[in-house]
Amino acid sequence: MILCDTDRKILHRLQSNLPLESRPFLALSKELGIDEDTIIERIKYMIDNKFVRRLAPIINTQAMGREATLAAIKVPEDRIEEVSEIVNKYTGVSHNYLRKGKNKEIPYNMWFTMSAKDDEELRNNLQEIEDRTGLIVRSMPTVKKFKIGVKFKIY
Amino acid sequence: MEDKKEDVDLKLIKYTQEGLPLTRTPYKDIGTAIGISEEEVIQRLKNLLETGKIRRLAASIAHRKIGINANAMCVWKVPSDRVDEVGKIMAKFEEVTHCYERPTYSDWEYNVFTMIHGYTDEECEAVIEAIKKQTGLNDYVVLYSEKEFKKVGVRI
Repeated sequence: MILCDTDRKILHRLQSNLPLESRPFLALSKELGIDEDTIIERIKYMIDNKFVRRLAPIINTQAMGREATLAAIKVPEDRIEEVSEIVNKYTGVSHNYLRKGKNKEIPYNMWFTMSAKDDEELRNNLQEIEDRTGLIVRSMPTVKKFKIGVKFKIY
Repeated sequence: MEDKKEDVDLKLIKYTQEGLPLTRTPYKDIGTAIGISEEEVIQRLKNLLETGKIRRLAASIAHRKIGINANAMCVWKVPSDRVDEVGKIMAKFEEVTHCYERPTYSDWEYNVFTMIHGYTDEECEAVIEAIKKQTGLNDYVVLYSEKEFKKVGVRI
């Protein structure tokens, strides 16, 4: 970890919205007491060194009219690589993890999130994965949302 | 008219989704690139935020890189009449980054999903213990990720 206090301070603040005014980093510089150009330079540093993936609009797939789901598959041990390659090929797949229950056994081991332009495309894609793998795909779309907001404590 | 507005919004999102220009005047530079004024860029981003089409205009952190290595998905079996009450309690924890109700299946009875991020597994487990205590729930499974096959931000 090579983030200095200045970087941490910037990173902490940048998890919330960037001000929507002509000079957003100048506005931040007043909030944080760090020079405007330094802020810009440190953000570049943190992106170049991959502490920050990007500073960008975070899209709400559903509000954009897209449909999304969390899906799970029970994949035999010896087919994990093959099946993950099939799943990952879909651009709508944003996360794909191999998961294991810690305190209990669970029936599925591969968990991925997929979005598509509408419900039909989403269902077709999931069906296609079933057809191509011969495995059952369990779709678990959100019924109710209580929280979404990935903000981390920066130590 | 509506279509045209959507098109410009889409253009704006597509242009910026990989990252805002890191300059003193990012909105002006976006405008120059896609052919609208700085004021229009700002106004459109404001509207997109207000209508919830974009959740945030913010940094996406590579959490593993900054030491947030533990990511537990904890799924809970919650009686349907308690989902609202329990969901609100879970959402209050800072470490709980996502909390959703999802459908069940014959072989899957866990209907409330929480994503917990922490610097260590112990930190995640302490949150789970606190949730158990505050909700009285006991039927749950902690799922740790053994392997990450793909992790990218949502793009359109």
